[in-house]
Amino acid sequence: MHQLKGLRLVLAAYTALFIAFLYGPFVIMAILSFQQGPEGGPQFPIIAWSLFWYKHVLGIAPPSRVAPLPIGEALTRSLILAFATMVVSTILGTLTAQAFRRRFKGSSFVFYLIILGMMVPGVLLGLGMALVAEQAGIPRTWWGTAFVLHVVYTYPFCFLVMLAIFNRFDASVEEASWSLGVTPATTFRKITFPMIFPGVLSAMLFAFTLSYDEFPRTLFTAGSQVTIPIAIYGTFAVEIHPNLFAFGVLTTLFSFALLTIYGVLMALSVRRAAARSIGLQEEIA
Amino acid sequence: MMEIDGLAKAFDGVPALVDVALSVRNDEYLTLLGPSGSGKSTLLRLIAGLEQADAGKIRLDGADLTHAPAHLRGLGFVQQKYALFPTMSVADNIAFGLRHRRLAPVSDAAEVARRVARMIDLVGLAGLEGRQIGQLSGGQKQRVSLARTLVTEPKICLLDEPLGALDANLRERMTVELRRIREALGVTFLHVTGNEAEALAMGDRMVVLDAGRVLQVDSPATVYSAPATVRVARFVNAYNLLSGKSSGGRFRRGAHDLPLPPGVGDAAHYALRYDAVAIDEPAAALDDDRASLPATFIASEFLGSRVVYLFRLPDGAVMEVERHLSRFDPIVLRPDEPRRLSWAICDVLAFDAAGTLISNDRLGRAA
Repeated sequence: MHQLKGLRLVLAAYTALFIAFLYGPFVIMAILSFQQGPEGGPQFPIIAWSLFWYKHVLGIAPPSRVAPLPIGEALTRSLILAFATMVVSTILGTLTAQAFRRRFKGSSFVFYLIILGMMVPGVLLGLGMALVAEQAGIPRTWWGTAFVLHVVYTYPFCFLVMLAIFNRFDASVEEASWSLGVTPATTFRKITFPMIFPGVLSAMLFAFTLSYDEFPRTLFTAGSQVTIPIAIYGTFAVEIHPNLFAFGVLTTLFSFALLTIYGVLMALSVRRAAARSIGLQEEIA
Repeated sequence: MMEIDGLAKAFDGVPALVDVALSVRNDEYLTLLGPSGSGKSTLLRLIAGLEQADAGKIRLDGADLTHAPAHLRGLGFVQQKYALFPTMSVADNIAFGLRHRRLAPVSDAAEVARRVARMIDLVGLAGLEGRQIGQLSGGQKQRVSLARTLVTEPKICLLDEPLGALDANLRERMTVELRRIREALGVTFLHVTGNEAEALAMGDRMVVLDAGRVLQVDSPATVYSAPATVRVARFVNAYNLLSGKSSGGRFRRGAHDLPLPPGVGDAAHYALRYDAVAIDEPAAALDDDRASLPATFIASEFLGSRVVYLFRLPDGAVMEVERHLSRFDPIVLRPDEPRRLSWAICDVLAFDAAGTLISNDRLGRAA
């Protein structure tokens, strides 16, 4: 009993440390984002609490010696790039995983070929792509060369997620549908896809987030019109101001808002389904 | 009318079906009995088009189906584990085939609703139309699965161990229900099962399959009383099977020899129905038309309307004796108590060395 208590204390301390390291950086960043501006820097102590850096990010602060963050266009590019990558990689990953449900000749070779895309170091891949583009006379753009590398990078993740989903997918429902006279294509659309949809959502999430803050591949291939991670990195070269932290807090809040909306929608649909079934049971009784 | 001829299928070089020939008539209940690994599910999947045959032909009303894709065969397939569509309600599950099939889809919503409602009535699911699949019991799922297939009016409905996952009580009810539903629709059922009682009770005709080969196709009564081979007799699970050699009209097994029915020559297997054996006192007198063997009692099992007694023969083989309580009172025996088991010689079935039934006078009369 005594030993068990000791073990509990150790585990509790471990968990506390884990959480501290997990969320510590974010908490520090959030606190520092309320630093006074424009004199206050990204360090303690807080001179005075203010919302200056938030105003600065949103472009409503009075002009000062600190240059505004070059985020407007970079953010748009990053979002478009992440969205396009998400769509293409999820479709490719789902279709490839579907192909892998049957064993075919050379399937393990193809498997490793796909996985290679996430195994090869990003810097090498980015550099390699830059050189190939140079040789072939292809201009380096965020929507061209960088987009291709983003797909190469995120497609294996989508593929692996969907492979796991199909692994425990019961194929007999598809056979049941075919036996009812429904073509394989309609069966996939009406039966298979709704069943694997949660997996597709996860694959989309992976692809979007991986692409959104992809750095090494983009650095070498995006050309002069950069994405948000590169733009932020660019500002480090001069001096770091708390406006970066304010931006970080804002994007995190944005993500939380999206997640909350998703959660509320899920809860609502679950409650509606439950209500429907209860209503039915009352009718029967 | 479906004709199957020379059908063969192997998986990784291991044969699952070898030269299967079978004809399925219109408007009949055909049961297919086979132990696990006999190829019965493979045969069903080949017919449904879910596997491709290595050789042979499947013809339905004259049209060659052997290589037709599953969705163009016009057959129904009811899976063992129901395979219902989990994202849909009961009614949508049943309507799915009508709405989305490639050939002759029904686009009129009222017509779909009418046919679905009729089918729901037929299988006894009234009131559950809007339920989600997760809210159904095993028996209800079975009915949805059946209704979903039958509403598309298949030419033949293939059922893969449809009662396998139900508990005993429900299974008995569904046995009656399945026959009623089939008769109401006049559609042919091809019902695959590993349960001999199910195969005997439900089929108009039954097929016995073993190791990828068809052993017998006959009415259940014939399969039961005159199994074509020793293996069929074993699957029917109603016969004591003794093996030995015969000479001069006698069947030799170790130190004992037993009379064979008249007209039987060279028998290698001697089969006795469980309920054809009588339990006598060790020293009881024996009529001329009966044969007997000494045995010791092992155990008995009370089954309600009947009692099954297990005896050990001197050479160690186990004999089963079934006594129906409507005809006999139960008897109480101590373990290892000696008894004499006797039977009428004309009740004996004899099989030759290849395992084939040797016909005798009694069988001639039965046929």
